[in-house]
Amino acid sequence: MSAKSANSGKKKGGGFLARQVKAKKDALTEEELLKKKDITADDVLRLTKGTDNYLCPPEANVFNIDFTRFKLRDMDTSTVLFEVAKPPPSETDEEHDIDTDEVDPNAGRFVRYQFTPNFLKLRTVGATVEFTVGDKPVSKFRMIERHYFRERLLKSFDFEFGFCIPNSKNTVEHIYEFPQLTPDEMKEMIDNPYETRSDSYYFVDDKLIMHNKADYAYNGGT
Amino acid sequence: MGLLTILKKMKQKEKEVRLLMLGLDNAGKTTILKKFNGEDINTISPTLGFNIKTLEHRGFKLNIWDVGGQKSLRSYWRNYFESTDGLIWVVDSADRRRLSDCKEELHQLLVEERLAGATLLVFANKQDLPGALPAEEIKEALELDLIKTHHWLIQGCSAVTGENLLQGMDWIIQDISSRIFTMD
Repeated sequence: MSAKSANSGKKKGGGFLARQVKAKKDALTEEELLKKKDITADDVLRLTKGTDNYLCPPEANVFNIDFTRFKLRDMDTSTVLFEVAKPPPSETDEEHDIDTDEVDPNAGRFVRYQFTPNFLKLRTVGATVEFTVGDKPVSKFRMIERHYFRERLLKSFDFEFGFCIPNSKNTVEHIYEFPQLTPDEMKEMIDNPYETRSDSYYFVDDKLIMHNKADYAYNGGT
Repeated sequence: MGLLTILKKMKQKEKEVRLLMLGLDNAGKTTILKKFNGEDINTISPTLGFNIKTLEHRGFKLNIWDVGGQKSLRSYWRNYFESTDGLIWVVDSADRRRLSDCKEELHQLLVEERLAGATLLVFANKQDLPGALPAEEIKEALELDLIKTHHWLIQGCSAVTGENLLQGMDWIIQDISSRIFTMD
């Protein structure tokens, strides 16, 4: 992940001062979090921007939670805008397995999306994820997801699934209003591909077990 | 877009409403959820876990949980009772053979302490099928008149055509809203 936007936005006098005051009280930095053994939901909620690093290793996912589908639809026109599903394990051939040593260990937890400018004009969207759970029951499963353009928070989700049945397949669709953007903001986001980013944090019993990242461009042609 | 219409009617006091949808397997719970939200209902397979819809509108949140109804999953239902404002019990009105099972499972839920305050909506689903019993007969088969502990309503509906889904959801949200309002 690029760190080039980390220092941007500091020139807004009042905003910066206000942020400094707040920072002393309850903000946490990524550096502070990386020193902790276990990271809680409260810790992540105190971050004021996206992270440069993953806050837990892939091995932290001891519950074998696997995201198998993602779908995005426009509620106003009932159109599926985007859908991607992971092929079931049986479809993976052996040749593919041999190469796994050389694959980037973070490949499975980073996604890059390319959308058209029209995407920013959507009003109400439904985002569905499907996930499977391993053979252990999962308790207090919670997701916190934050979307930023540079350091501006665009959208934040905080949802507790609670209990997940062992070996289950589950779906959740969040239907929400897309953040309203001014024409200038839209232009900035279109002109600066991949500076819109998201962090998805997943907790079991209030302990971070997965951290996924995505970035987004809105300059695609149709 | 049925749910968004309903969500607009929610009052300031109920920031978050949680509905739990249960019933025997093949009752049509997932189909109701999808039809109501304008999704394709041609490729629905048995739910081996849960399906959740969360709707956010101007700071209000409506969460609907649809948990699989297969026998092996029913012992897990209790994990989803907490904080439930409304219980939606879905019945396959054409499955006469399992109506007594259906009655027993429902009445077991109604004695659960954690569901004590919940409003009950019974969807007598599959009214589009020729062999379907009308809502009135489902009401008798499930002995709904014996229920004194919960506000309840039975609504005949069809998840496939969408008939009466909005009416049922509208009622349960209204009932929950008026109750929460009174308690405050």
